[in-house]
Amino acid sequence: MMHEDDETELTDGDILDAMQHIPGYLDISTEDFRSIYHLAHRHAVERLFRGITAGRLMRTGIVPLQTAMTLDKAAHHLAGSGYKGLPVVDAEGIVVGMLTETDFMKRLNARNFMELLLKLLDDMYEFTHRCHETLVSDAMTQPIVTIDRNAGFTDIMKRFDSHPGRSMPVVDMDGRLLGLLLRKDFIAAYKPRNTDESA
Amino acid sequence: MSLREYFKKMKGSTKGSPPRVSNDEIFWSWIGAFLGISAVAGLNRLYFDGTDLSLMIGSLGASSVLIYGAIRSPLAQPRNLMGGHFLSAIIGVTCWKLFHAHPWLAESMAVATSIAVMHATKTLHPPAAATALIAVAGSPAIHHAGYLYVIVPATISPLVLLIVALLVNNIPASRRYPEIWF
Repeated sequence: MMHEDDETELTDGDILDAMQHIPGYLDISTEDFRSIYHLAHRHAVERLFRGITAGRLMRTGIVPLQTAMTLDKAAHHLAGSGYKGLPVVDAEGIVVGMLTETDFMKRLNARNFMELLLKLLDDMYEFTHRCHETLVSDAMTQPIVTIDRNAGFTDIMKRFDSHPGRSMPVVDMDGRLLGLLLRKDFIAAYKPRNTDESA
Repeated sequence: MSLREYFKKMKGSTKGSPPRVSNDEIFWSWIGAFLGISAVAGLNRLYFDGTDLSLMIGSLGASSVLIYGAIRSPLAQPRNLMGGHFLSAIIGVTCWKLFHAHPWLAESMAVATSIAVMHATKTLHPPAAATALIAVAGSPAIHHAGYLYVIVPATISPLVLLIVALLVNNIPASRRYPEIWF
């Protein structure tokens, strides 16, 4: 059952008002109407969000970063991947963190892209030095927020809400990387198309 | 379930019963019932006056409440009206034939079984249980009619009410009948 917290409780007044808009005698009590409403609402929510699982929405073919990589190597990987962040795995392939553009900026004491640019112009040496010396494991975002491949709409929503990241690694039961779930893919997956019963 | 919960159920769960209907609605309920019962009474006089058979039975008054006064109700739809009276009449007559030596058993079997059969066949129509009861507890003329009771009055009379309901209930813009045929 999803979204039960968001469901509006109807008062007897609400239902009686609705009944007054329908001419003729309706032989249904407000309590029965409320029961039908709740069950129908639950059914509708399940219909709307059916098929939304992390495993179906994730991007596959993600090449993760290794904890032992240096930041400059990781930067090349990241740039080549086309993503703004990549999962980091340890020697056993278990996801242990995410390394994102934001992590780079934090590492270089820049709060945003412009600040980073200015710092770069000021002190190129400092930048290259830091990137050569630092390991991915020291710069990555931890603790890592991952999502199970079978997680549905509500779980995904809660996970994204729990951290500011734009993507989450999708993992199997052992914590091994399966793919990357992007927030934009998740949002795009919800379309009112499913209002049709046959959808 | 505790005893406390059991008695708590008797308090009821709803604050308000459904709202009072408009005066328009009351007017059309009155017209429908008046014409429906008039039609049955008229036909009865024309064709069954002086015979042992009669089209007029008490359960038609109850059916009128539904098909002229609560026309959206699932209980008031043609399948329920016709099916309910027909099946209950068969059950009523059968119960009389089988158990007439013990009237209390014939009566309770007739009503209880007709409810069960109407449930099972999706033809629940409360007034039809009265049709079943009348077959058992009614006049000697009804007992004498045997299974003819299923046709007169239990099929023909509801059919007349149904025709009137179709004609009358679809006149006002705010009404339509039936919701479902079958």
